[in-house]
Amino acid sequence: MTTLNSVGHPSPRIDALKRVSGAATYTGDIRLPGMLYARVLRSPHAHARIRRIDVSKARALDGVKAILTRENCDVVWGSGDTRNKRYLFNNPVRFAGDAVAAVAAVDRHTAEEATRLIEVEYETLPFVLDPEDALKDGAPEIQPGGNLSPNNQGQRQPEVLRRGSIEEGLRAADHVFEDHYTSSHINNAQLEPRVSIAQWEGGRLTVYASTQGISNCHTEIARDLELDAKNVRVVCQFMGGGFGNKNQCHDFDLMAAMLAKQTGAPVKLEFTRKEDYVAVHGRWPTKQYYKVGVRNNGTLTAIQLRGYSGMGPYRKGTGGIAGIEIYQCPHVERTVHPVLTNMAVSANLRGPDYPQGVFGLESLMDDIAYSLKIDPVEFRLKNMTRKFNDQTPYTSIGLEDCIRRGAEAFEWKKRWHAIPGVGDRPAKRGAGMAMGSFFSSLGRSSAVIDVDSRGMYHVHVGVTDIGTAAKTTMALIAAETLGVPLEKIDVIWGDTDRCPYSVGESGSRTTTHTGYAVVEAAKELKRQIAEKGMPRDNDVLTATANTNPTVPGMARYSFVAHFAEVEVDTDLGHVRLVKYVAAHDSGRVVNPLTATSQVKGGATMGIGMALHEGLLYDRASGVPLNAGYYGARVMTHRDAPEIEVLWVETEDAYGPYGAKTLGEPTIIPSVAAVANAIYNAIGKRVKDLPITRDKILGVLA
Amino acid sequence: MKSFANVNARDLKDAALRLKEPNAIAIGGGSDLLGMVKDHLVQPDVLVNLKTIHGLDQISAKSSEVNIGGLVTLDTLSHDPMIRSNYRVLAEAAESVATPQIRNVGTLAGNVCQRPWCWYYRNNFPCFKNGGTKCFSVAGENQFHAIFGGGPSFIVHPSDTAPALVALDARFRIAGPSRERTIPAAEFFALPKVNAAKENVLAKDEILASVHLPRAGKNTRSTYHKVMDREAWTHAVVSVAAVLEMDGQVCKRARIVLGGVAPIPWRLDKVEAMLEGQRITPELAAKAGEGAVAGANPLAKNGYKVPLTKAVVRRTLEGLAQV
Repeated sequence: MTTLNSVGHPSPRIDALKRVSGAATYTGDIRLPGMLYARVLRSPHAHARIRRIDVSKARALDGVKAILTRENCDVVWGSGDTRNKRYLFNNPVRFAGDAVAAVAAVDRHTAEEATRLIEVEYETLPFVLDPEDALKDGAPEIQPGGNLSPNNQGQRQPEVLRRGSIEEGLRAADHVFEDHYTSSHINNAQLEPRVSIAQWEGGRLTVYASTQGISNCHTEIARDLELDAKNVRVVCQFMGGGFGNKNQCHDFDLMAAMLAKQTGAPVKLEFTRKEDYVAVHGRWPTKQYYKVGVRNNGTLTAIQLRGYSGMGPYRKGTGGIAGIEIYQCPHVERTVHPVLTNMAVSANLRGPDYPQGVFGLESLMDDIAYSLKIDPVEFRLKNMTRKFNDQTPYTSIGLEDCIRRGAEAFEWKKRWHAIPGVGDRPAKRGAGMAMGSFFSSLGRSSAVIDVDSRGMYHVHVGVTDIGTAAKTTMALIAAETLGVPLEKIDVIWGDTDRCPYSVGESGSRTTTHTGYAVVEAAKELKRQIAEKGMPRDNDVLTATANTNPTVPGMARYSFVAHFAEVEVDTDLGHVRLVKYVAAHDSGRVVNPLTATSQVKGGATMGIGMALHEGLLYDRASGVPLNAGYYGARVMTHRDAPEIEVLWVETEDAYGPYGAKTLGEPTIIPSVAAVANAIYNAIGKRVKDLPITRDKILGVLA
Repeated sequence: MKSFANVNARDLKDAALRLKEPNAIAIGGGSDLLGMVKDHLVQPDVLVNLKTIHGLDQISAKSSEVNIGGLVTLDTLSHDPMIRSNYRVLAEAAESVATPQIRNVGTLAGNVCQRPWCWYYRNNFPCFKNGGTKCFSVAGENQFHAIFGGGPSFIVHPSDTAPALVALDARFRIAGPSRERTIPAAEFFALPKVNAAKENVLAKDEILASVHLPRAGKNTRSTYHKVMDREAWTHAVVSVAAVLEMDGQVCKRARIVLGGVAPIPWRLDKVEAMLEGQRITPELAAKAGEGAVAGANPLAKNGYKVPLTKAVVRRTLEGLAQV
């Protein structure tokens, strides 16, 4: 791989100093003159019809400026449900945490007190939390037409992937393995809490959002409030993380806008951490039933999955259960049921379909390898994907290198035991690994670059930088293409009035989509400079690029293999990560410094999902019990192990300088790698996430 | 949160008198109380600020005892060289609490009087602790609840320092509006069958003013072992505070108190008797572990605490014996 001048060199974030010194203005830091504060009243019930709302006492409280309920606000939140109409305030309320009213007042305290003065008469309705229970006869109907959420074609059928004939594949097998796994509702747990500030100037609305995509946020606010797009501006200058639950526009953006409109004053709407946990969305909980056919020599003949994903009462995410695509197998049948329940809403969280599916599948593949007495690393090398869905060639694939080089760096042979559970009590060590892949998309985005007579290049990109260092990435790519030092690049971001369209910072697309547009805009600018020379005096040269590249007849994927060693204290049921190696093929790495951070973050998140996290419900009331950082036992610095990151930089002919996707692959195999390491240590398999102390002591008893 | 007034107490008596007012609550470090106000678990009209009371943030050693003011922060307590060398169990317990930020403001008295972290209570279910007549954990999610001393409420006492203080035979000085009283630490805590709404015997107008530790015996060893579900910022799943007074290899006197398993610090007097006058061998430690869980009464989802308690007691004793 050729060495480049800017791309590929470890570079601190261009806004690092601002961020660490407190100079960065995050959305929550913004205060506008005359600004009101807003709070939301939420349903205490999992499912209830609102018989009556009386806001008179709240209205009478000194300082209260406006109250929204379903009775005076029928705004539909378009991206809150892709199948049914979801209003900002729904009746019936369908989960504990569903919004009932929003109040704007002169200060936070008054707004909150007012929500408590709103009198709501609920008629409680039967509710259901488990996705399989929700499909049974007589289950409470959460939305008209039934609890199986319609598929992409609008039919009330599960989502199905079929290849070959599953019956034939199972017949051809020497052994058939069957097992089932479950995973929990996990919150995105991003550091920055949720906040939105709306301000009207005449008929024009500005929303200071905390969003992963100013462009979609902008489009959707205009759509949902029936405004002309030119009358909406979305600003997000510094963003404190989202991991998928700040995509698009949110109900609180719309509530803030409606309250601001009613009051004629700017309104800041904030959530508490607890609200963030229950009222936005998290990863969908799943139940997975697998059947896998394999020959004596370890070759796969069939993979069958019947899965159920609990989506909460509003269908916001795919509900997919991925993982099968990492294996080469002639006969595949995957049937996944996205099911409505009365739990908190489920949608995107870092690799939405993946870590839970890979946990189930890679747990079973591990068991198969042990029972056929094949080293799990060899088993995966033998069966790993070569073509996407055994059909479409990849633009580049470094999966084998990820596995081989990862295993070597990890010292797999030394750390892994052929017989799981060997070793003396109480501190038993074990090693596990898992692999994954993630779609590395190319697609539509835009960039504008201008150069002034001082030789400064102003790169206008509609990114917000959700923690990935996207601004720095764009600067590095621009510097590389323009052939100028990084200091000559000025990035303008996070404001729809000043930046062109950019794809939302979801799907790990920013580098590949918007980075590509930056390359093209920079090339165009270079062409102009070559033709006209550098601008003089007050002149500028401007280049724009609206790009939408495609890959003809090939699949473009990133690949990953993670290796974990744990020590399980079998007396205490305590798990400690001893060693962790993450090997990634993301094509060319644009900024190894921030890319390495992303891998560490993703792996740490996965370890938390494996060992700690899961929204727990009281079954009798349908009320969540452990919302928030404390209750969820989110990983602390002391819990995170040293994570060694290894780059397998494949040459990929597509994307900016051959860069492939990274953000989401980082979490995909981590949960399974930890689970497999625990199995190797104790010789017992925990099949329900999270793998907590009670479960470990339970299987050891 | 509801509006409230803050009054700065001049002295203990002033504080106690002000606590007589309806809806008055004492505040020390406030690290938990303010969160409880925000969560509407308590809705005070008046917060009586104890931090303005002079001298309550001091540790003083006298010939017969050591006095620790109720306002001494957990951070100070965990770093105090005298506490660390003579009452290691207390320093370790204080150090295990929550996070550095919380230990910087959280006080010893606040930690001892901390309300339970049962998720039903903290989520405003109308349970005994919230003025109701039911413990929701019994038929619900009880994986962190009591295996000893439960009923009608099954909360576990959340304090790390409380088991240490009981194990050290501490005495608690309680100040009221007209008089003070000093009681043994063990008598401060109350089982739910005595009062299901509260965890201790403090009257509404009383304050835990200070804690008094008897002079540490010469050959005393002590430690606090806390099992946590992550490496920081969480309460004990199970903990053990152990204090052994040794005569050579022989244990002269033992105090073993569990945290995280009962609505009060759970003293294992039968296990103590088992150890006194004996050499602490691995066999005896194992026997003590077995003895520790005699009478355990787990609920549907907290049965794992039984083997866990057994192991923690055994290993703590083995560790202390090796010192």
